[in-house]
Amino acid sequence: MSMISNLMDGVVFVDGDGNVALLNTAAEALLGVKSFMVVGRPLTELSDQGDLLDGVLHDIQGLSDERPSMNRVIEVLHTEQDLLYVRARCARITDCQGKSSGVYCTLQDVTADYKTDQLKNQYLSIVAHELRTPLTGIKTFSTMLVKQALGPLSEQQMRVMESIREQSLRLEHQIDKLINLGHLESEDRYGQDLERFEIHELVTTSLAAFPAVAAEHGIQFHVELSEQDGLIEGDRADLRRAIQAIVENAIKFTPEGGKVEVRVTDVDADHVRFSIRDTGSGIDPRYQRRIFEKFFQVEDPLTRHHGGAGLGLFFARGIIEAHGSELTVESELGKGAHFCFVLPIADRTTNETRAVDATPVETA
Amino acid sequence: MERTVLIVEDEKLIIVSTQMVLEAAGFRVESAVNGEDGIAKAKGIRPALILLDIMMPGIDGWETLTRLKRDPETSDIPVIIFTAREHVRGHQKSTEMGAADYFRKPFEPDELIELVEKHCGQEV
Repeated sequence: MSMISNLMDGVVFVDGDGNVALLNTAAEALLGVKSFMVVGRPLTELSDQGDLLDGVLHDIQGLSDERPSMNRVIEVLHTEQDLLYVRARCARITDCQGKSSGVYCTLQDVTADYKTDQLKNQYLSIVAHELRTPLTGIKTFSTMLVKQALGPLSEQQMRVMESIREQSLRLEHQIDKLINLGHLESEDRYGQDLERFEIHELVTTSLAAFPAVAAEHGIQFHVELSEQDGLIEGDRADLRRAIQAIVENAIKFTPEGGKVEVRVTDVDADHVRFSIRDTGSGIDPRYQRRIFEKFFQVEDPLTRHHGGAGLGLFFARGIIEAHGSELTVESELGKGAHFCFVLPIADRTTNETRAVDATPVETA
Repeated sequence: MERTVLIVEDEKLIIVSTQMVLEAAGFRVESAVNGEDGIAKAKGIRPALILLDIMMPGIDGWETLTRLKRDPETSDIPVIIFTAREHVRGHQKSTEMGAADYFRKPFEPDELIELVEKHCGQEV
């Protein structure tokens, strides 16, 4: 018992009859109640004694056979201005027959982590702004020149301008990746900025920078869109990040002369499949689950050092799961990999059939 | 008739480059370098559309949007939020606050023209 009472985290036990059985010192401090005031009393009598207690109460009462545990961060107004963030984990305690014999709840003050996270995101957001502003100028001006909107260019001038434009797209992509890092500790933020947008538009804008990257690595890059466009509902920026991470990964592990294909096909009237296939080195079956883990990198002694932080697929999976789908992979060593996910179509639009071969088909 | 787009943006570079894109597509472009100035110009010239930056000195884009939407003189002018910064649920927030759309910088010139055409078209 003294071990529990001295824990840094708050611990609350509720017995099978719904009465508070134990409250340690840390829980007393966080909840603002004294143990002797509440132990032995029914949990339901404790409402209106503070936001955190109400939150925990709500979570405990929400537990059921279908949902035996809860884990979330509760935001509480601590003093006038100060917010406290507490991670509350509640779970049912069951006996060996599976019968519920109470609930335990741990409370962890995560305010410091949250504040550091907020600061970091704020900082990254400012850095991104500072980088994107000059980049907007470079990208816009070079695009205008490439389109010869400001007068004709010589062949050589055109090549130079195209290169400037492509490099600006790459830089933009790198900045977006930097921002992704900022989202690392904010996984529950995925997929929250909902809007409806066209599937084809999502894919083409996501892939804008890749033909140049693939060509540079001597890889063929092919994009094929479904016959009929449609609207999906989701977080456009997040889905774009997910698609880019998967394609980037495919290009990274495909050797010169190989091929990366992105296909968007209709599964049925209400679902669309996104499929990214490469002819790269493939993934060892032992690693096929682990590639979605944070910071995981496959060691590949035979080929180039791949670089990166090991976050791309981790983000991609998180984003796709937040959209109610699953990112799957099929792969055989030496034969490439095939990543796939399916999203529901919110509405059909009437865009005509398009097949875009977005590459210079070069195998260097 | 030539349609006027008002750009409210504190970065000269963005104004110049956006102006170039829109003028090449046949729009007339006016600009304001902060929110207050933007509101005054919106009343004066009654643009077909406003492109509004978020991070600006003085009143920021969100506050500018709120004031534009509250004022009967400007509330009917479509506003596109135009930002280089990450905003948590930025798109949702913009729509809830009355913006017609939300657009990220750097942008593809064609996408910008398409978006501006779309929302100018909706304007009476």
